[in-house]
Amino acid sequence: MLIICFTATGYAQTIKGKVFDAKTGEPLVGATVSLIAGNKPLYTTARLDGSFSFYKLKPELYQLAAQFVGYDPVTGKIVDLRGGGDQTVNLYLNSQATQMSEVTIAAQGNHESDRAVRSLEKAAPSVLNILSANTIQLLPDVTVANALQRVSGVTIQRSSSGEGRYAIIRGMAQRYNNTLVNGIKIPSPDDAYRFVPMDIFPSEMLERLEVIKALTPNMEGDAIGGTMNLVMKSAPDHLVVSANLSGGMSSLFSGNRPFLSFKASPNRQSPAMIHGNSYSATYADFNNNALTSNKNLSSPLSSTAGLTVGDRFFNNKLGVIVSASYQNIYRGSDSKQLTPNAQPSAIPLPNSPQFSDAYDRTYSTQTQRLGLHNKIDYVINDKNKLSLYNLYIHQNEYTARVTADTLGLGLNSTNLSKQITLENRSQLIQQNIYNSTLHGDHVLNNKLRFNWDGVYSIATRHMPDRTDFQYDANKSLNNAGTVTAEVDNNTKLTHHWENNRDRDLSGYGNLIYNPTIAGQTVEIAIGGLYRNKNRDADYISYSLTGGKSTLYNNNFDQIPFTFTTASDGIGSNNPDLNNNYSVTEKDNAEYGQIKFRLFQKLQVLGGVRIENTAMTYDTKSPATVSQRSGNISYTDVLPSIHLKYELDGKQNLRASYFASLSRPGFGEIIPYNRPGEYYDEIGNPYLKHITADNLDLRYELFPGGADQLLIGTFFKKIHNPIEYFVVRQGGPSNQFIKPQNDENDATNYGAELVATKFFGTIGFSVNYTYTHSRITTPKLNYYNDPTAGFQQDFVNQTRPLQGQADHVGNASILYKSAKIGLDMQLAFVYTGERLAQVSPYLNLDFYQHAYEQLDFSFEKKLTSHFSFYGKVNNITNAAAKVYLKYPHSNLDAKQQEFLGKQDIAAQTLVQSDFYKTLFLGGIRYKL
Amino acid sequence: MKKYIIPVVIVVLSASFSGCKKWNGEHTDIYNYTPPAANPISDKAPLSCSGGSSVVPVKGTMLSGKTYNVNDGCDIVINPADTLFMQPGVTLNMGARSSLIVLGTLISNGSKNQPNWITAPGLVKKDAPGAVTTAQDSAFAGHWKGIIGGPTCNLMVLRWTHVEYAGYTEGDATSKLASAGAGNQYSILFANYKGNFIMEDSWLYGGVDDPIRISAGKIAIFRNTFEKNGVHGGDCLNAKGGTTGTMAYNLFIGTATNGQKASNKGQATGAPQTNIVMYNNTFISGGYRQVQSGRGGCINYEEGAAGMFYNNVAVNCKYGFRVVGSPVADVAHLSYGNNFQYADSVSVANQFYPTGYITQPQQTDIPSIMTSAKYLPSGYKPGDIYDGSDVVRINNPMFLNFPLPTSGHALSDYNAVGSFNFHLQANSPLIGKGNTTIKPLIVVPLDKIYGLSDATPPGADLGCYQLNGTGNQH
Repeated sequence: MLIICFTATGYAQTIKGKVFDAKTGEPLVGATVSLIAGNKPLYTTARLDGSFSFYKLKPELYQLAAQFVGYDPVTGKIVDLRGGGDQTVNLYLNSQATQMSEVTIAAQGNHESDRAVRSLEKAAPSVLNILSANTIQLLPDVTVANALQRVSGVTIQRSSSGEGRYAIIRGMAQRYNNTLVNGIKIPSPDDAYRFVPMDIFPSEMLERLEVIKALTPNMEGDAIGGTMNLVMKSAPDHLVVSANLSGGMSSLFSGNRPFLSFKASPNRQSPAMIHGNSYSATYADFNNNALTSNKNLSSPLSSTAGLTVGDRFFNNKLGVIVSASYQNIYRGSDSKQLTPNAQPSAIPLPNSPQFSDAYDRTYSTQTQRLGLHNKIDYVINDKNKLSLYNLYIHQNEYTARVTADTLGLGLNSTNLSKQITLENRSQLIQQNIYNSTLHGDHVLNNKLRFNWDGVYSIATRHMPDRTDFQYDANKSLNNAGTVTAEVDNNTKLTHHWENNRDRDLSGYGNLIYNPTIAGQTVEIAIGGLYRNKNRDADYISYSLTGGKSTLYNNNFDQIPFTFTTASDGIGSNNPDLNNNYSVTEKDNAEYGQIKFRLFQKLQVLGGVRIENTAMTYDTKSPATVSQRSGNISYTDVLPSIHLKYELDGKQNLRASYFASLSRPGFGEIIPYNRPGEYYDEIGNPYLKHITADNLDLRYELFPGGADQLLIGTFFKKIHNPIEYFVVRQGGPSNQFIKPQNDENDATNYGAELVATKFFGTIGFSVNYTYTHSRITTPKLNYYNDPTAGFQQDFVNQTRPLQGQADHVGNASILYKSAKIGLDMQLAFVYTGERLAQVSPYLNLDFYQHAYEQLDFSFEKKLTSHFSFYGKVNNITNAAAKVYLKYPHSNLDAKQQEFLGKQDIAAQTLVQSDFYKTLFLGGIRYKL
Repeated sequence: MKKYIIPVVIVVLSASFSGCKKWNGEHTDIYNYTPPAANPISDKAPLSCSGGSSVVPVKGTMLSGKTYNVNDGCDIVINPADTLFMQPGVTLNMGARSSLIVLGTLISNGSKNQPNWITAPGLVKKDAPGAVTTAQDSAFAGHWKGIIGGPTCNLMVLRWTHVEYAGYTEGDATSKLASAGAGNQYSILFANYKGNFIMEDSWLYGGVDDPIRISAGKIAIFRNTFEKNGVHGGDCLNAKGGTTGTMAYNLFIGTATNGQKASNKGQATGAPQTNIVMYNNTFISGGYRQVQSGRGGCINYEEGAAGMFYNNVAVNCKYGFRVVGSPVADVAHLSYGNNFQYADSVSVANQFYPTGYITQPQQTDIPSIMTSAKYLPSGYKPGDIYDGSDVVRINNPMFLNFPLPTSGHALSDYNAVGSFNFHLQANSPLIGKGNTTIKPLIVVPLDKIYGLSDATPPGADLGCYQLNGTGNQH
């Protein structure tokens, strides 16, 4: 939008007023207002509250006009200043847009504004929160995962480099949430679970981000916490070209703490994949390039680039948008970590904590993201419309992890013999998501509409040749503390491959019928979907030993690596082989829903959805292995009702109930067996799916503009919740960690508050969510019985759900001046204490301490087309800290020396991750 | 002449008396009926698996004097309700990569005159010190997988039985049949804390990782001989959380790490605390193939394990009797004494009380803890460095045939009995030094066949061989 502002001098009269939507009375932020006297036009832009003003005017006769995308312009409004004094004139624009509905979004208008999404929130039949593209653009975040933390009730789980990855919605961990793109569920590249890592989506590709917290019957029913719907940019009604380019860096890296980069291994495939499972691999089959190509970069430059081009052709019949986003970000963290021993001590107190290692780790993570999306819509006629949507996302994540073990806390360490462990690991994870959706809208007659989607999606994840070098040695000391000898305990080199592929073929269809019954238009919709999912995952790792005679002094190439026994190099002996699986899942769902007004102010949307799930899994295990394959099918009937009581044009009161489900992860059902931190972990083919009853109550106030006030409360009862805990399997002495359906229901309730208020150019936005969840699971208690000696029992312990924080909130201050072309935002995120890691032992859970992060971003218009923007993340260098709720002074003397700096008397700091500050600055071009 | 008559008469009389006694005798040949085995297992064809399944279910009786062959890659499975009974004098030849999975009961009832063999056919033992390198020694190659006791195995008895050349990696299919671990390389696994594991008068030869892993169980391991156990690591008798019983009169030579280890790691809910009594065991040249530092070479108690160890002998072991301080053994319920150590070199003597650990020197230990001012000086605390030079090559145990001090070979080369003989000479310093007041911990049934046939009590002479002929019978 053009902003040209002329001001005359010497005169003192003013014309001011506001621009409103004629129908809704909402202020139209950003509307262009022009004032003509003679042949000299003056222009201004409506501010956040819709207001405009022209100062220092001569006493003349003026013509006032206003225009706004999606509205019929108002022109020639005469304002007479000849009589002296100021004038206030309000302008009312009529919308061109067809009515908003929950199925299709109006084709025109600026969908990317806060104002538009407030309208959507207000008009939506159920409880949801939306971030607009404008909001996202100004956010300090470049990925969808990080943007999600700005949504009320959402917290994020970070990767080792501090990048947000998964969203926890209302205390419900990622397994309880699903991810849609344009309303279509996409497969996950994750090898075990169904949830999608949200950091692979560049946020700039979004038109808006919806977090839907109450499901209607026409939505996929597998979300208990909520649904994240990524609505991608759609074709505009005129030529749009926008581009951006930025660069930046993390203050974590310097000459002293360089970024460790590496070239990925050229071995995309394992020896077994190339030569077959009977092939006996030797050291010569492996390439250590991922470790030997390590290079230090003192301050690597991160960069991002984006380009969006869209236009409409053939009398606006054909709309096309193409958008590309590229990010190359260098991040990292410095981590200190105490690893709990496999078993605590029974003395002096039951479950006295024991630590086996104290690690100092540095992570260097380079993330390359490429997002391409393209939408073509073709309006055949006013009754039929087709669109084709393509999305391709690719992410390469290179992580170099360097571990130095603090001297001496190894299990075999003593005061005169210190165990040290060094580890270098280079890992590349490549993830792809491709989605292609053909969508059709058809108006069959004036009461009947039909829309459909045909979808092909594929998600893949590859971890080619993760290379891991471990050196474990003992240093013998003399009485003076001088090292007298070094003994190589174990030099180990591991090459590991993982591949995962998940392909969906789906079809959706909805028939919407709008009869008039008893004088009101009722909407009846029926529809359904069918999905055919195909998934394969394979794993293999090769462990070589360094012969235990060559000490490591950065002489990696001289270590004579070999398999301990030659048979370990044979693919069919590989311990990972039994974790390989393939799954075919056929889902279908049908629903019927009706929307009507019970009386004028009360909108009722209700109905029922039936979801049928049928999956078949197969593993590579031979016929003698129980659980090697299986068929699992289940049907869920999910009723829901959503009431919206419109107190007046600006206030709603909502109440809803919905039933929903959460399907177990594919990898959880497979009878895998892999070594875990405490016990071996095994899969559970008998895992039942999770179901939930959800209640919501919300008051909404939309005073106009971007302002809003939402106060809500929710209650969830979760049946068959899946938790990981210790079980005996096969016999009394074989104990494993296994995903289990807890016998007890979990409950989760809380309250939410969202408030946004603008005062002219300055806005304040806060949201806060209180969540309270409880689940009871059996935990091990290891204690000293005076007669029977050391004993171990199961004891039930009640605790919050993993990842749930009691208090989460956001606060931000915004400055948006269309006049000087400057937008600024200071954003603060608070995530209260939450359960980070559930221990199999009573009272030994790890809690992440409250986390506070402060971010800043701004965008300043330089010319009509160019603007400069910047984003600063984690200004205060907030650390993620994890505590064990055990007074650190009670730990035994030997462990005391490895504790590091402690800051809470009643707790023990077991992990701290520092990410430092990330800066990004760039130029944006908009036509 | 007269003076010779009486002695001559006495000699003649005594000779004829003893000669007449020799002529006495009684021979009986009474008809004795033993019902034939109900389910004799045929030795006509090899036990084979086919059709994509590796499993060969087996139950019944293997008959005296017969040789049974198991085909390569097959898993012999004794189902939970079944018993495999091996009469004395059975040879079971295990094919490459095969296994014997015991989900029910296994009784290998060999006898002194007719021992049983569970072995790999056609391999030649090269047992002279230094005859062959570890890499080239078939003892360490893991020819077949091992005897894998599943969680439902209620009784496993190995009596007068040779178990040889096992330790091949279990792999996915075998480990899932046995509810064990795919990476396991144990010659024998026992994993049921309610079950009984009895091994007496048997031999275990070769192996890859822990030759015997007791994940949990009630055990009695008496009078066995262990040779060449573990390639680069592995504790020969490795008892984990939930194991109770006795290990006594065993001879270990050339174990990779410890001969006997007790830990309460992984104690299952409902299982008892690990409590093992170890007495009169002999350890020769233990701990040398384990290159990791401080891992032990004879006896080791750690991580919550209780028990006692007395009357044991360690000769030229890389580390002495070791009690671990972190994670700490259950020292409040651990007692020990009357243990003997011999060192050819000062580096061995310097680790009689391993540096950094918490083994408390006892007044009854040999060599005496008062030997000299340098050896365990005043102010010595467990784990301190000390100078062992004054106890090198003292107290030669006087074995019947074993060169001490050794010469011509590294200590690590002594890893099989071969022609050596560790019985005691009459002038051995081990004689009469034993503590006979301690009691074995007998938790298994006492039975000639279905239990422990002889719970030999602690002996007066240190080590596994007693001058009076009791103890280890090999």
